[in-house]
Amino acid sequence: MKYHIVQLGCQMNISDGERVQKVLDQLGFEVTDREEDANLLGVIACSVRQKGIDKVYSRIQKWNKWKNKKNLITFVTGCVLPADREKFLKTFDLVFPMSELPSLPDMIYQYGVVSPAGMQTLDKGLAEMEKPVLKTRNEAAFRVSEAQLPVDKKQILHPERGIEEFWHITPKYGSGFEAYIPIQNGCNKFCTYCAVPYTRGREVSRPSGEILNELHHLVENGYKSITLLGQNVNSYGLDKKGDEISFAQLLRMIGEYGNKSQKKFWLYFTSPHPRDMSDEVIEVISQYDCLAKQIHLPIQSGDDEMLVHMNRKHTVEQYRHIVSTIRRLIPQATLFTDIIVGFTGETDAQVENTRKAIAEFKYNMAYIAQYSPRPGAASSRWVDDIPKDEKKKRYHMLTDELMKHSFEYNKRLIGKTVDVLVRGHDRKAGFLSGLTEGKIIVRFPSDDESLIGEFVKVKLHSAATFSTEGEKVNAQASIPVN
Amino acid sequence: MNNNYHKILGLRELTSSTFVLEIERRDMKFEPGQHILLGRAGDIHHREYSIYSGVEDKALEVLVKEVEDGEVSKTLKHLKPGDEVEVQGPLGFFTLEDEFLQTGNRFLFIASGTGISPFHSMVRSFPNLNYKVVHGIRHASDAYEKSDYASIRYVACTSRDDQGDFNGRLTSFLQQNEVEPDTHCFLCGNFEMIRDAMNVLEEKGIPQDHLHAEVYF
Repeated sequence: MKYHIVQLGCQMNISDGERVQKVLDQLGFEVTDREEDANLLGVIACSVRQKGIDKVYSRIQKWNKWKNKKNLITFVTGCVLPADREKFLKTFDLVFPMSELPSLPDMIYQYGVVSPAGMQTLDKGLAEMEKPVLKTRNEAAFRVSEAQLPVDKKQILHPERGIEEFWHITPKYGSGFEAYIPIQNGCNKFCTYCAVPYTRGREVSRPSGEILNELHHLVENGYKSITLLGQNVNSYGLDKKGDEISFAQLLRMIGEYGNKSQKKFWLYFTSPHPRDMSDEVIEVISQYDCLAKQIHLPIQSGDDEMLVHMNRKHTVEQYRHIVSTIRRLIPQATLFTDIIVGFTGETDAQVENTRKAIAEFKYNMAYIAQYSPRPGAASSRWVDDIPKDEKKKRYHMLTDELMKHSFEYNKRLIGKTVDVLVRGHDRKAGFLSGLTEGKIIVRFPSDDESLIGEFVKVKLHSAATFSTEGEKVNAQASIPVN
Repeated sequence: MNNNYHKILGLRELTSSTFVLEIERRDMKFEPGQHILLGRAGDIHHREYSIYSGVEDKALEVLVKEVEDGEVSKTLKHLKPGDEVEVQGPLGFFTLEDEFLQTGNRFLFIASGTGISPFHSMVRSFPNLNYKVVHGIRHASDAYEKSDYASIRYVACTSRDDQGDFNGRLTSFLQQNEVEPDTHCFLCGNFEMIRDAMNVLEEKGIPQDHLHAEVYF
């Protein structure tokens, strides 16, 4: 029995997908890259753009045609708006929020797949499992519409419910040296361009003990780049109203563990909201070696009126205070951001303010998105009044500004020797590439695959806009740190 | 039983398209200015509504404008006492922080339409507040429950009739009247109003950290 998953969306979805894979593996399914070979076909959906949801619709149409020739089970989970879920109930066999993942074995079992070994030996190795057998199913038996569900089963209204159980599932990590740890789910901020509050529900923080256990396990097993994930990662703990530690305290505990562990690793987090970015968080990052000196701080716009329109709940001045604290306490930190250009009503003067913000804050990287209405988000009810060509023009204008500062920073690295976590082969033949602690891309000539997943030292000799190049020097950086 | 389900206690019609929904409060604690996510029990559609009632009020109230083709407001309009709604929250940060509430601080609340809701909650919750409400509405009949504000503290700016306290847009009222530079200005309503009013206030020398806005959507 094989399964194939179509993964759409952000790092959070990738992390969620690792848990879905673990559940299916434990049931005795084998992953396949070829969807035509699979008996179980799933989508981890993303509602950030209509395009993503359109992909789900086109995929299920194709899969449902295959059902004439073979037995198939299809499912969809992930970020799904309530209105789309209603439609998916008519086309997919199983539709469930991620928080219900622990029940997926039951759902599949009830649907007609019998895999006793898989069902009963969740903790045993794959080798011990029997292959599940697909029974002929009753076409209509499991098509349960929302209206037929008892009220307490209408989980899509509360995608945050049951998320604690979901977090108990050990993921099938996609890498042997980089991993994501979800620490928080949902969003209470209601930015007008974003659908996440409607797909993932309210903010829920994962117990800190679980987070630390997962982190210890990863570090002990040689993971070197670990990213704490959350839609508003630095509002961690606030929903527990004093019954959980704060984000700064969580970072401090990780920092203390890093000092004691004698293992070198870099700990990142994404995405923080400026409103909850306290001075204490920045102070803690400055105090511990394992807390990576790279901050991703979405600004979205450099204009206060646009920030009001986006319901961002911060001003440029408040953002400026955070950046100045970062520059003062962690001068070596790199700074990344997210920007939306061409938002409803954005004027030339307002986009110019965003350009000025890029110039002022000197980002190393900005993920600049041309605005498109996201179904379900408040702004989707407003006129998208900036023409596509104009958005594109503004996008290029901002990108040009970004490139200047990124290139300037990279040029200043020439001649320096940096620690690099090698991630794989570079597009340039005969080269490997990796990232510095500040997530600057570094490539160097080597065919030695044993370096992938290791720290090396590279002396940089040239710089490009978004990358650097150098030569590996002998002393490996994978030594214990104090 | 769903923990987020609350019973409807009543509905007060204020105009032909605007009403106050009175909801069983249960033990919900909130700060004036916060909002809830509201929809009919079991419905897939929910919308954000600012809390209209005060912190000491028995019922939880929201001010609802019926929107043509609205997926939630039309449904809410037809609810009867005893029906259930789903309430998530309270949520949001458009509140009067403790430091603002110190004696002597003056507040200017600027609202368009149902954007007055958070200010109604603030005024009911803090009886000693030194405030003025400037309310931009089309007709004087849209001055929702204006008797809840002291008459010298409430100005209805009507753009479609001359029955208000000021005949014209609220931005014109702001342009024609003094605003002390130490006033804390809170703005709530549609984005265009907020943008125009903020420009006027900035021209009058109100510092940026005294401007607080929440866009209604």
